[in-house]
Amino acid sequence: MAILADAFGGRDSSQKFFLFTSVSPMVIYMAIFSLLPVIWAFLLAFFDYSAQRTGAGPLGLGGNNPFVGLGNFENMIGGQSLEADLFRTSLNNTIAFAALVLPLNLLLTIPLAVLIEATNKRVKPIFRLIFFLPVVTSSVGVAIMWGFIYHPQNGLLNGFILSLDSILPSLGIPAPSRQIWLGNTRLVNGGVPLALICAVIAYLWQDFGYNTIIFIAALQGIPETFKEAARVDGASPLQVFRYVTLPLLRPTILLTSVLTVISAFQVFDLIQVLTPGGGQQAQTRVLTIDIYENAFRYQRMGWAAAVSAALFILVLLITLVQFRLLRSDWEY
Amino acid sequence: MTSVPRALPAPQVYAVSRPKPTRRWMVRMFFVYAILTAGAFLTVVPFVFTLSSSFKTAAEIRQVPPTFFPQNLTLDNYTTVLTDPDLPLATFYRNSAVVALANVFTNLFTSSLFGYIFAKFNFPGKRPLFIFLLAQLMIPFQVTMIPGYLILVKLGLLNNLLGLIIPSAINPFGIFLMRQFMKSVPDEILDAARVDGASEWRIYLQIVLPQIGPALATLGVLTFMFNWNAYLWPLIVLTEQNIRTLPIILTWYTNAHTNQIHLSMAAAVLVMMPVLAVFILMQRWIVQGIALSGLKN
Repeated sequence: MAILADAFGGRDSSQKFFLFTSVSPMVIYMAIFSLLPVIWAFLLAFFDYSAQRTGAGPLGLGGNNPFVGLGNFENMIGGQSLEADLFRTSLNNTIAFAALVLPLNLLLTIPLAVLIEATNKRVKPIFRLIFFLPVVTSSVGVAIMWGFIYHPQNGLLNGFILSLDSILPSLGIPAPSRQIWLGNTRLVNGGVPLALICAVIAYLWQDFGYNTIIFIAALQGIPETFKEAARVDGASPLQVFRYVTLPLLRPTILLTSVLTVISAFQVFDLIQVLTPGGGQQAQTRVLTIDIYENAFRYQRMGWAAAVSAALFILVLLITLVQFRLLRSDWEY
Repeated sequence: MTSVPRALPAPQVYAVSRPKPTRRWMVRMFFVYAILTAGAFLTVVPFVFTLSSSFKTAAEIRQVPPTFFPQNLTLDNYTTVLTDPDLPLATFYRNSAVVALANVFTNLFTSSLFGYIFAKFNFPGKRPLFIFLLAQLMIPFQVTMIPGYLILVKLGLLNNLLGLIIPSAINPFGIFLMRQFMKSVPDEILDAARVDGASEWRIYLQIVLPQIGPALATLGVLTFMFNWNAYLWPLIVLTEQNIRTLPIILTWYTNAHTNQIHLSMAAAVLVMMPVLAVFILMQRWIVQGIALSGLKN
């Protein structure tokens, strides 16, 4: 870095040439493909813009695409229009989706990582491989596989329930009933649509391997001596986990929680393919689907940009919470 | 108390940390393996069900209750899908491969170059540029997606595979990953090359790049998989059918053949296979990369 430059009595011409020929194309590229989209997205949110109308100026804003000020945002909060209703439904669904995914994901991945860490060194990579397979599978593939599992007539889930019909009643346990998992609008569990729960389960299946790998890496970073000390003092494995491992995992848990929530906010592929457009009565419509449908199906790009700004604010809030929580980071 | 040794004798610690296979320990390990095996089974079921369904006949797939394993194995679904004139799979494989490999190439080049520059050089404007890159990681893709599309329209890159290659040529995540690795390249080697009169571009290409081979492998595999599986951006950019990539074709095919699950299962297997193969072959690099990026984020 600076030491290098000083050792040679200032930056020599070769270094200047190298930096000029690499950094200036990068800056020009980023101005077009990184900075311009951010500014443009911000501006779009204040216009009633459609790509099908010719507006005024270099960005097509104004003219037939009138400036509406905060109109889009006012509509989102208190508007009675259909798109405002759909936005609020999407916002609720997005938050419900993330709120279901996060605790279920952590309850699944932390114990799983601990169990995998307890296994023999030879088998460990095999379990890691298997649990990671869904993560690398295309989410469209995942959606098609799960769409078939949830299929009302030929799906695996209803088939499994049907086979329970003959076993459970003879044991005195009521058998669960078969469902139209993704298309039944009447079934609502605690205010959360059944189809959304089905999407959560498919998403968890696809995503849990990622956090498991992160927790395994974090567990390997905890010094063995700490656990040993607890064991010498007579702690059971459960107590070692509760009083030694879990507190030391805290920074990793915070970080993965934030990343999990942010990626859950941005889920698109899986839900769009499972239930195109957000399914029956928009029960699985999340913000990303709302943005996509408005921008590219109905050509309401100004409105969609405003919705994407709402998504951005949601992500920003979570990130700020992360910074606050991580400030109390500790070393060991 | 002076006679008490300061440290415990080593063998005793060893005995505590590796418990002898007592009966209790064995019962415990039995449960660990039982839970993990059950979990692995549940993880694999959707894959196995998809694979086995792709070998079933159209009649068998409509049976209620469904069979798990095919009663009469048939390869007809695969021959139908692969020879369907409406679905030139070879073209879509080519499109997906072009996009994924071109992105691997551009991302490895730009990420390693700028990772190197941010790790080892000072220049005016470095800090704001770096902060801007960092900020980009926080902006959801859906925010810049709409103007990104409008820019492609202006550049005339709609329905062009370049529209999936050019806008993703600089990847902030890749730059951060590479910067971490570049810090471990010793300054002495760079200085020695400078004293020997090597140009800076030559130092980057011939000295720095070979040092970070494993990091390049990790980023390369992650980039390949991400682009091969990408759905939303290709869905927006590619609206003409013959230019589309595999994930879009898969959904199109499934929607067009809602009553022919056996065919869409075969198509799904064909689309998912390459990435699963790449993953199983390269899993060391991927798992390492994920763990690293997750921890250092």
